[in-house]
Amino acid sequence: MKKMLSVMLAAMMLLSLLAMPALAEDQVLTVVTWDATTTPYLIAQKEAFEASHPGVKIEYVDVASQDYAVKTTTMLEGGDKSDVIMIKEIDNLINWQAQGFAAPLTDYIGGYDLSGFVGTEANYAVDGVQYAIPFRSDFWVLFYNKDLFDAAGVEYPTNDMTWDQYAELAKKMTDKEKDVYGTHYHTWLSAVANWAVCDGVNTLADRNYDDLLYFYKLYQDLEDSGACMSYADLKASGLHYSAAFANGNVAMMPMGYWYVSTLIGYNKDGTCNFNWGITAVPHAEGVAAGSSFGNLTGAMINAKSEQKDLAWEYVSWLGGVEGAKATASTGARPAWVSEDVAAAMSSVEGFPADETSKGALLPAAVAMEWPVAEKVSDIKTIVNEEHTMIMTREITPEEGIEEMNERVAELFE
Amino acid sequence: MEAAVHSREIRKDNPTLRKILRTVIWILLILLSAFTLIPFVWMVSSSLKLDREVFAFPMRWIPETFHWENYSLIWQRVPLVTYFKNTAFIAVVVTVLQTLTSSFAAYAFAKLSFRGRDALFLCYIGTIAVPWQAYMLPQFIMMRSMGLYDTLWAMVVLQAFSAFGVFLMRQFYRSIPSELCEAARLDGLSEYGIWARIMLPLSKAAIATLVIFTFVSTWNDYMGPMIYLTRDINKTVQVGLRRFIQENSSDYHLIMAASLCSLLPVSVVFLCLQRYFIEGIATSGLKG
Amino acid sequence: MSQAEVKKVRHRMGKLERKNTLVAYSFLAPNFIGFAVFTLVPVICAVLLSLFEWNGGDISKLKFVGLENYATIFATKKVAEKGIEYFFNRVDLGIALKNTVYYTVVTVPLTIVCALALALLLNKIKGAVFFRTVFFFPYVSSMVAICVCWSFMLMKDGPINQIIMALGINFNKGWTADSTMAIWSIILVSVWRNMGYYMVLYLAALQGIPRELMEAATVDGANKWQQFLHVTLPQLKPTTFFVSVMMVISCFKIYDVVAIMTDGGPGRATKMLVTYIYDEAFVKVRYGQASAIAMILLIIVLAVTMIQFSSEKKFSND
Repeated sequence: MKKMLSVMLAAMMLLSLLAMPALAEDQVLTVVTWDATTTPYLIAQKEAFEASHPGVKIEYVDVASQDYAVKTTTMLEGGDKSDVIMIKEIDNLINWQAQGFAAPLTDYIGGYDLSGFVGTEANYAVDGVQYAIPFRSDFWVLFYNKDLFDAAGVEYPTNDMTWDQYAELAKKMTDKEKDVYGTHYHTWLSAVANWAVCDGVNTLADRNYDDLLYFYKLYQDLEDSGACMSYADLKASGLHYSAAFANGNVAMMPMGYWYVSTLIGYNKDGTCNFNWGITAVPHAEGVAAGSSFGNLTGAMINAKSEQKDLAWEYVSWLGGVEGAKATASTGARPAWVSEDVAAAMSSVEGFPADETSKGALLPAAVAMEWPVAEKVSDIKTIVNEEHTMIMTREITPEEGIEEMNERVAELFE
Repeated sequence: MEAAVHSREIRKDNPTLRKILRTVIWILLILLSAFTLIPFVWMVSSSLKLDREVFAFPMRWIPETFHWENYSLIWQRVPLVTYFKNTAFIAVVVTVLQTLTSSFAAYAFAKLSFRGRDALFLCYIGTIAVPWQAYMLPQFIMMRSMGLYDTLWAMVVLQAFSAFGVFLMRQFYRSIPSELCEAARLDGLSEYGIWARIMLPLSKAAIATLVIFTFVSTWNDYMGPMIYLTRDINKTVQVGLRRFIQENSSDYHLIMAASLCSLLPVSVVFLCLQRYFIEGIATSGLKG
Repeated sequence: MSQAEVKKVRHRMGKLERKNTLVAYSFLAPNFIGFAVFTLVPVICAVLLSLFEWNGGDISKLKFVGLENYATIFATKKVAEKGIEYFFNRVDLGIALKNTVYYTVVTVPLTIVCALALALLLNKIKGAVFFRTVFFFPYVSSMVAICVCWSFMLMKDGPINQIIMALGINFNKGWTADSTMAIWSIILVSVWRNMGYYMVLYLAALQGIPRELMEAATVDGANKWQQFLHVTLPQLKPTTFFVSVMMVISCFKIYDVVAIMTDGGPGRATKMLVTYIYDEAFVKVRYGQASAIAMILLIIVLAVTMIQFSSEKKFSND
C-alpha cells in the first residue's frame, strides 16, 4: 500500500516535471478588447501574429462593447495585470493615462517608424509622450445601394458632391410607394452634424456650434420630405444602421468605414444580396472634395503588465505594416496608410470593384470626430443632449445651438 | 346598519348577482393580463423573425416565415449552456444563504429587544439606499484583493447578505403576534427554539416570497456579473445576452429568443413556490 | 422594596438584558458579518470619498477637498447669483433631482394601488394560479428584452399610440422622443414591470391575516368594504410600510430602464440621479463628485425612510 502510494507520488512528480516545460513554452499575452469572437479583424490579427511569433499566444479578454469603458476602467482600478488594453475611444486613453494605467512608450518608440500614421498618432500622445499606437483608423464614407439606383435609372453618387447635391439626390431616390428612402441617418451626432469639422478648422470643442446649423437644417428638410426615416422612430426602435441598410430599401447612408467589412460579411452569408458601393462623403461649399472625419482604435500597454517587452512587440506589430495587412484583409481600415495596405484593402473579396469605390479609399483629409481637448467629455455630454433635443424637434436647431454655445461657455467660466 | 345587513343578505341570497360580479372580475383580469402579455407576444414573434424584420414597419405579429433555427442558433453562437449552469449555481447558493441568514437576523430585529437595534437596522436600510454604482469601485478593489475577482463566489458573497432580505423578513415577522413568542418563552423554549419551531413554520409564505425574489433578482442581475466575471467559463446568462448586441451589429431576434429561454427556469421556480401563497397561516390553524 | 432588593432586581435585569443582547447578536451575526464586509465597508468608503477629489489610479492621488464636491454639483456660485430656478432648470443635479422626485412621486402610489388591487382580486378566485403567474411574468423577464420591446410599443405608429388614437386622443409622437412623455414611458414600464412583484408581497401578506379576524368582522355585520377598511388594511400595514420604503428607495435608484430606453433624453428630460452618478463616475472619472451625488440621494432616502419609520411606530399595533 505504502509502496503504491510512493510510486504514485513519484509518477505524479515526474508528470508535473514533464508538464512544466510544456506550460512554460508558450508565452501568453492577454489583450483586453471587445466583441473578440465575432470581429473579423481581431481573429485575423491573432492568427497572423501567432504565425509570425511562434511560442506566443494571444488571449483576448472579451468585454461587452457597450460597457467597455466602465468594465475596463474598473478592472484597471482593481490592479488588473492584462498586458495590452485596446482603446475604443480617445477619451478612454486620456482618462487611463491620467490615472497612471498606461505605460509610456518613450523607451520603445525610438527606432519605430511612425510615418505611416500620417500624424494621427499624435492623438495618443499626452505632453509629447506617446502612450498608445493606433491600428485602425476609420473615416466616414457614403454607402449606396447600386441596385436601387439602377432600378430608378439615376446616376450613382460621385466622389465629388456637395451636401446640397446629395440632398437633391436623396429626394430624387425617395419612392414612397415602393417604401424606398433616399438616405438613412443613424441617430448619432456624428452621422448628422459632425460634418462641420471636415474643413479641418472647426472642431466640436471650439465652443462655437453655429456651423452645425446648416447640417441640422439639411437633415430636417430631408426628414420633412420623407427622404429618410424619422429620428424619433429610429431612436425608439433601436433599429441598427446595419440592418437599416441591409434591408435594401435605403439608397444612401453616410457611415464609418468599418461598415464595409460588415457588408462584405452580409453578402457572404446571404443576409443581403444587392450590389453596393462607396463614395467619399459629400463636402460643404468651399471644402475640398474627399474631406472626411474619423476616429482611431488603438492599443496601449498596461502599466502593471509583467511582460512589457513582449507587449510592445505585439502593439508595434499591430500598428505596423504586417498588422495593417492582417487588419485590411478583413475589410477593416488600418491606421497605417501605404500603397500596399491600400492595395490589400481594395483586393479584399467582396469589396466593390468600381473605380469610385477605390477612389473613396484615399480621403483628401481626415479630421478627428472629437479632438483631444480640455473638458471634452463634459462638452460631449452637453452637445449630445442638445442634439437629441434638436432631433426630436423639442427645440429648433437655432435654439439648440444657442444652448450648446451657452452651456459649453458656462463650463469654462 | 340595517341597510348593510340587507345588502349582504341580498348578495348571499342572490346567486345571479354573484355570478355577474364574478364575471366582471374575470373580464377585468383577462383584459389586464392581455395588456401584460402583449409585449411577450411581440417577443415571441420577434424571436422567430430575421434580424432586419424585427423593426420593420408595418409591424407583423405573425412572422412571414418562422425561423425556428434562431432557437438553435443561440446555443451555437455563444456558450449558453455554460452561462446557464453558472447562473443557476449563483442563484441557488445565493438564495439558500440569503434565506437562512436573513430570516435569522430578521427574528432579532423583529422580536428581540437589544441595545443598538434601531441604529443597526437603519444602517441596513441606509445601505439599500446607496446606489451600487456609487460604491462599486471600493467594493471591487476590496474583492479583488481577496482574490474573488472573476470567480462565481464573488457574485455569491455580493448578493447573499443583502439588506433587502432582512428587511423583508422583519416585516413579516412583525405581523406575527408577539403573544405567541411570549407564550413559548413561558413554556421554556429558547429563542432559537422559538425561531425554529414557531416563526419558521409560520412564515412559509414569506420565505417563499423571499426565495422567489432573491432567485429572480440574482438570475436577472446584469451589472454585477458584467463587472466581476470576465472569462467566458464564468459568465452568466444576462451577460451572455448582451453579446448579441455588438459594436457594429445587433441581433435583436436572438436576444428575444435567448431571453425567452432564460425566462423558463425562473418561471418554474415561481410556479413551484406560488402555492405557498395559498397555504399561508390562514389555513394552518393559528389561534392568536 | 428595600434599597438592596431594588439593586438586586436591577442587577438581574441588567444581566438578562446582556444575555438578551448576546442572543440577539448571535441571530444577527451570520448575516451581519457578510453584510458588513461586503456592503457596509464599501459604502462607508463611498461616503468618505465624497469629501475627496479622486480621478482614479493610485490611492496616493486622493486629495481632501472638504465640501468642494458638493459646492460643484450644486453649482453654488451660479445659483447664488441667479436664483433657485436656475438650479432646477439648468444645473444637472437640479434637473436630475426634479426628474427623480417626479418619477418617484408618481410611480410609488400608482404601483402600490395596482399591486394591492391585483392581490385582492386574486386572493381567492378560480384560476388565480394562472393570473398570478401572468402578472409576475414582467418582473421575471430580462430587462434588455422588455425595454427593447416597450420602446417599440411606444413608437410613433406603435400599438399603444394606435389604441390612444382609436380612443380619440390626438397624439402622434414617439413617447420616448417627447420631453414630457419620455418620463411617462419610464413610469409605465416601471409600473408594468413591478406591480406583479409587489402583488406577490401583498398576496403573501393577505395569507397572514388570521381568518378569525375576518369572521369576527362578518359576525359584527361589516360589509366587504368595511371589512377591507377596518381589518384587511390595518393588517397589511407592515407590508405596506415595507413596500413603500422599498419602492421609494428603488425609484430613487432608477437606472436600467432609463439607460436602455431613453439614455436620459431627449435632452435632459429623463436624466436621473443614478444616470448622473454613472456618468460622473465612469465617463468623466470624477469619483469624488459621483460619491457626493450618491450622498444627496442617501440623505433624501434616509429622511423619507425615517418619516415612514416614525409613522410605522406611531400606528403599529404592537
